[in-house]
Amino acid sequence: MSAEPNPTAPEVRLEVSGIRKQFPGVVALDDVSLRLRAGEIHALLGENGAGKSTLIKILTGVYQPDEGEIRLDGNPVRFASPRSALAAGISVVHQERNLIPQFTVAENILLERIPTRGVQLVDHAAINRLARPWIEMVGLDAAPATPVAELSVAEMQLVEIAKALSLQARILLMDEPTAAITPHEVGYLFRILGDLRRHNVALVFVSHKLEEVFELCDRVTVLRDGRNAAAEVAVATLNRDQLVTYMIGRAEVIAELPPKPNPGEPVLEVAGLTANGGGAALSLVLRKGEVLGLYGLVGAGRSSLAKMLVGEIKATGGEVRVRGAMTHIRSFREALEKYRFGYVSEDRKQEGLILLHSVRANTSITIWRRLRSFGQWITRSKEDAAILPPLRQLDVRSHSLSQPVGTLSGGNQQKVSIAKWLAAKAEILIIDEPTVGIDIKTKNALHELIWELAANGKSILLISSDMPEVIRLSDRILVMRNHAIVGELPNTHQYDEMSEAIMARLS
Amino acid sequence: MLRLRGLAPGVALGLLFIDLVGMLVLSVITPAFLSSYNLFVTGRDLSILLLVALAQMVVLSLGQMNLSIGSIGGLVAIIESGLMVRYGVPVPVALAAGLVLGIVCGVINGLLVYWTKINSFVLTLGTSYVFAGINLGITHATPFYHIPDEISAFGQARVGPFPLMAAVTIALTLLLAGFLYQVVLGRQLLGVGGNPLAARLSGLPIRRATLTAHAISGFLAAVAGTMLMAQLGQGQPTIGATWILPSFAGPIIGGAALAGGSAPVLGTVLAMVLIALIDDGLVLVSADPFWVQFLIGALILGAVVLGRTRLSDIRAFLRISTTRLGGTTR
Repeated sequence: MSAEPNPTAPEVRLEVSGIRKQFPGVVALDDVSLRLRAGEIHALLGENGAGKSTLIKILTGVYQPDEGEIRLDGNPVRFASPRSALAAGISVVHQERNLIPQFTVAENILLERIPTRGVQLVDHAAINRLARPWIEMVGLDAAPATPVAELSVAEMQLVEIAKALSLQARILLMDEPTAAITPHEVGYLFRILGDLRRHNVALVFVSHKLEEVFELCDRVTVLRDGRNAAAEVAVATLNRDQLVTYMIGRAEVIAELPPKPNPGEPVLEVAGLTANGGGAALSLVLRKGEVLGLYGLVGAGRSSLAKMLVGEIKATGGEVRVRGAMTHIRSFREALEKYRFGYVSEDRKQEGLILLHSVRANTSITIWRRLRSFGQWITRSKEDAAILPPLRQLDVRSHSLSQPVGTLSGGNQQKVSIAKWLAAKAEILIIDEPTVGIDIKTKNALHELIWELAANGKSILLISSDMPEVIRLSDRILVMRNHAIVGELPNTHQYDEMSEAIMARLS
Repeated sequence: MLRLRGLAPGVALGLLFIDLVGMLVLSVITPAFLSSYNLFVTGRDLSILLLVALAQMVVLSLGQMNLSIGSIGGLVAIIESGLMVRYGVPVPVALAAGLVLGIVCGVINGLLVYWTKINSFVLTLGTSYVFAGINLGITHATPFYHIPDEISAFGQARVGPFPLMAAVTIALTLLLAGFLYQVVLGRQLLGVGGNPLAARLSGLPIRRATLTAHAISGFLAAVAGTMLMAQLGQGQPTIGATWILPSFAGPIIGGAALAGGSAPVLGTVLAMVLIALIDDGLVLVSADPFWVQFLIGALILGAVVLGRTRLSDIRAFLRISTTRLGGTTR
């Protein structure tokens, strides 16, 4: 796909300039500009907290700017509400799905314009007929009457795009559309977005993955600390280092990871593990002080393997040995308390943390039983003494231990969900997608942290669909596909060589 | 030290302020408010209804509901008075049996919710009819009169303006707060309420937490039922019939999150004080008693709206309107 902007710059469809938006105690956006042209894909980049979401909310009428101007086709406009932005042809496909799972594909597409017969009776035939062209336009392979709950994440995204198009969207904002879908699906999505570009839609593409920006986008605007670090720069004139410098204000330093002792004796030996509902028998060995990478796409069965190991999903056959002893882990509590497993879920908000509760409670949750003194009582001093070392080790930034964990940044939340396993003195850590949705700076810190944990003798099963991450951190790499382990590769840490070897196992 | 985890400080402070103002206003406009007898009667109602509200709060903190609190209270009062009046069972044995029955009812609720995974609203709606049905089947809606004197005496006992019952309620409230904030099982209960999935994946015992919350709820309902029986001096089958509204009003006004994970004991106490003041005030000024429900209803709505608008939002709103004014002069 061409990364070059069209030779003659196409018409400006939407122009925002001098936007300022202030929240209590923080200026979210200050003098920000963005110019979207018809038939171009415009990347909007920035670290977490740089102001991307605020800007998108202003463009879609969720927030009103304190200062600044929005011009649509040259005319000044105000979007008092999301409805008025929609009416002006601006649609957004959010990171979080905004579909009603119980409704059909067609009903979701036409949600606010359900055709009726007679006295407000829903006309199902008309719904399906009217939705069909849009479903076909995005190449979604599903009948209009399919309930959305039956679709994959990528397919739901297509439904949202179809919905946006059906609303005559002339400007389409995509907020991290590739965060939750497989590379294959990303390829498909990019073809659709390319088609839209040819149909003169102005597109905004938000992503943390710079490779995607270079592959897909024509121009880029970068926000840093609520200001324009770059505005409307042609992607073709940039390289990765320049882009990163725009984003973090300095060149990206990927420090060489310090040497780490060679892995020791096996602590976890899995032989012929099978699950209900098929899939091959899975075998692996994890050694003391080792980072074992488990690479595979979403849906390859990585997370269910992890959940089998910790007793959350029942295995139907096979052997698991922990430190040489045969085990039958029946419940997660047993895995935690008897065998010292720790499990950092890929979905920290749903499965990892209690967002409403404090940093303290979220960190000590794994050790409450151990902290109790007479009559089940937990004293705060004892509790804090147990959790402060891991929180310090991971450099968790919070105002106080009583701060609700939901108010921390994504990176700090992730650190808390690791810290609770350090507090529990877990020896075998299963870490699932540790850096999804986390910005470059924090990602680096998390990588160094995982490395350090292994250097200190923890055994880590690192599950990831982020190839650079797996290649950077792992001692060995297992490749998983279709619920089977299809390869085991010693890691040379040479990206080109390793990525080719991994891809070869996947095809 | 006791920590008030899960307490929304803004809510509690606001309630405390409203309570104090309410007391001040009442003592100014009607001198009868400060009379020893009025304080006793109001305090006695409060002692009972606070337990009812806490019975709901503990289940709300698990992210569930208990619609059967009233019918548990009623059934317990009936069984206790029936044992004493009809079978001559000694008082301590009858009361112990009643409290155990309350716990059993709660455990039944908890087990049904845990096993079936059916929404607690639906399940406890069902069990509330079952418990109330047993009550009616036994009594045919006729009270057990002539309960032993010592029980009736307890219902009337007071030290100056303080009802003796209040001692029971205060003790239970402190125990509950200590349990929820500082005891392992209480914490686990709040953790499960805050995010069941994350709780399980942190090794918390979901079943034990569920059963404990419902058992405590049943126990508190049983104590409340017993106290109301003592106050009335008879085993009334209608005991608990009107508890559903105050049971939710207390925790909700007090700042509980309906999704679970928070247990605002202090907020619930202050909210119930407010409801008792409104109740008493309307009686003292001879207001139409039928408007009491309306006022409590309006209060719940007001509290829910206020709960969404935190202090910071108000400040933000003020600041934004001022910056906008400032912006136009640029």
